[in-house]
Amino acid sequence: MAEQEITIPAADPNDPYAVPAAMPSSADNEPRSFKVGDFAIPNRKQEDWRYTPVERIEEFFDVFTPSGRTKVSVTNIDGTPVDGTNVQVTTVDRAQAPSGTVMKPNDRVSAVEWNSGDRTLVVSLSGELVQPVLVDVQGNDAALDSLHLVLEAADRTHGDIVVLHNGLARLAEGVEIVTGADSHISTTFVQEWEKGSKHVGNQRIHVGSGASLRHAVVTLGGDIVRIRMDQDFGGPQGDLNMLGVYFAEADQHVEHRTMVVHNYADCRSRVVYKGALDGKGAHSTWVGNALIKPTAPNTDSYELNRNLVLTDGPIADSEPNLEIENGNIVGAGHASSVGHFDDEELFYLQSRGVSESEARKLVVRGFFADLIDQIGVPSIASHLMDVIERRLARGESADIQAVLEDK
Amino acid sequence: MSTLEIKDLYASVETKEGRKQILKGATLTVNSNETHAIMGPNGSGKSTLAYTLAGHPKYFVDSGQALLDGEDLLKMKADERAKAGLFLAMQYPVEVSGVSMTNFLRTAKTEIDGKAPAIRTWTKDLQAAMKNLRMDPKFASRSVNEGFSGGEKKRAEVLQLELLKRKFAILDETDSGLDVDALRIVSEGVNRAKENTGLGILMVTHYTRILKYIKPDIVHVFADGRFVKTGGPELADELEETGYDQYLPEGATESAIA
Repeated sequence: MAEQEITIPAADPNDPYAVPAAMPSSADNEPRSFKVGDFAIPNRKQEDWRYTPVERIEEFFDVFTPSGRTKVSVTNIDGTPVDGTNVQVTTVDRAQAPSGTVMKPNDRVSAVEWNSGDRTLVVSLSGELVQPVLVDVQGNDAALDSLHLVLEAADRTHGDIVVLHNGLARLAEGVEIVTGADSHISTTFVQEWEKGSKHVGNQRIHVGSGASLRHAVVTLGGDIVRIRMDQDFGGPQGDLNMLGVYFAEADQHVEHRTMVVHNYADCRSRVVYKGALDGKGAHSTWVGNALIKPTAPNTDSYELNRNLVLTDGPIADSEPNLEIENGNIVGAGHASSVGHFDDEELFYLQSRGVSESEARKLVVRGFFADLIDQIGVPSIASHLMDVIERRLARGESADIQAVLEDK
Repeated sequence: MSTLEIKDLYASVETKEGRKQILKGATLTVNSNETHAIMGPNGSGKSTLAYTLAGHPKYFVDSGQALLDGEDLLKMKADERAKAGLFLAMQYPVEVSGVSMTNFLRTAKTEIDGKAPAIRTWTKDLQAAMKNLRMDPKFASRSVNEGFSGGEKKRAEVLQLELLKRKFAILDETDSGLDVDALRIVSEGVNRAKENTGLGILMVTHYTRILKYIKPDIVHVFADGRFVKTGGPELADELEETGYDQYLPEGATESAIA
């Protein structure tokens, strides 16, 4: 199908339904700006912050001097140096392209991040990567720091990139991802922060024409992790696959907000986030927005969030939002659930001699396994299953742990 | 030689209208190497008997015992009953997403035996058992029962029966939903298990057709929560002729009870 030229009329603020909304969506009417002053200080009465314990991240609401204590290294996934022909690592002024070219900050914390610090780390991929690139982000203390990262892939690049967050940190992070036409890229972000860490992140993602992006987020550690991800397409036939895995424990707040925008014809998006919650005060939030613009006929989109509550006490917020401004689409589905273990599943496993605690572990492992497999980087997938395994084994005797690790 | 003695068992199920008693004094003794067919109309409590013995959380024991070699199963958790020697082949096996058959079977075998099976013999046993049941080797890597057809699920149940080698097996309408070929293959599996381990079998069924493949030693009629008649294989033929009407309470029809 030939690309159609469509002019979007400007929305009339007095009558937003007279014409299709021109701003990102009628639900999301925040400005897009590099200026902190364009955004109000977040509070729970604002739609975008209603689930966030804003009082626990107040330090991210005003521009600060970054400590510079966060160490970032870029290597191949096996630790060897990257091959300079396929992977280039540079540091540029924050205002110098490609930094700041993928949309603009969309809330107070992303504008603060942009203005706190003056350098940007750029990882540029091209050609066929032989092995995944690892960006290791190591926090060293709880001093407030910022990191701005650009991951860009040239046209027709095939490659995987993994960003690992670990150590102790209080980090404001901005990530821009821009993929070229007909590229096939995967980006995986793992949060394994130590206790006491806070991570307020904003990702802006632009998927090239005819390109595919597999974008995975795995959040396992950190007192508060809040990541908002805004995406759009650069042309028709883009394919976006967003995967999320999280495991919130007592008093942890884990929040993921995916904002998918279909602005070109014939694009496909899938958003699948799954989380487990364990312990009093464990709190997870998933908000999945999908906006299908008038310019995007034949859109095929689907979003899903499942939450498995392992004990009494956790809270899981799950909110899918669809805004469809085009009647000519393949699909725009969503599903969302919060639930305990299925008694029938547990009984089936127990009736085969599997103890209740082991049956629960099998079910949780199964709950995450297919998603983690899809990350497509075997060393990371097996590492993540190990971490989840250890979580599940916590509090058990050394004997049982040894048996589990033996598996 | 083992014995399973069900003694005067009363059990209830929680329904929307409150607790409802389904089993009303079921009594039965099964020995190793014996095959008992339990036949009866819909709604008579046959499946409740099966699930109550296996320890499903939906069913409550009001009174009675189920002694496996003297140990009361009803006082044990579901997994302990399996370890003690009981196996339930379910009418509707449950799907467990993301857990591969291989991983599940090996975990179950490890828990049942108290130690992990030696990898080489285990893999060999698994492959042989799957081959006998004409199961595609790809099944091993699929999630437990997920996307299996009705016939595939029943084969997977019998695969577990053969591998876990329990003392007694309850087959809850294992014949339902099977075509003739699948019925024969599944029955062969059950017969192999009996031959190899001296399994005692309680076979719950509506129909006599499975009895052509798995020969019962004893046939029982189960109605209104208890065993009401016991006989030899000829009783099954009689039921085929006359149906269950004579065993229903006065004035009731089978559909009214179901």
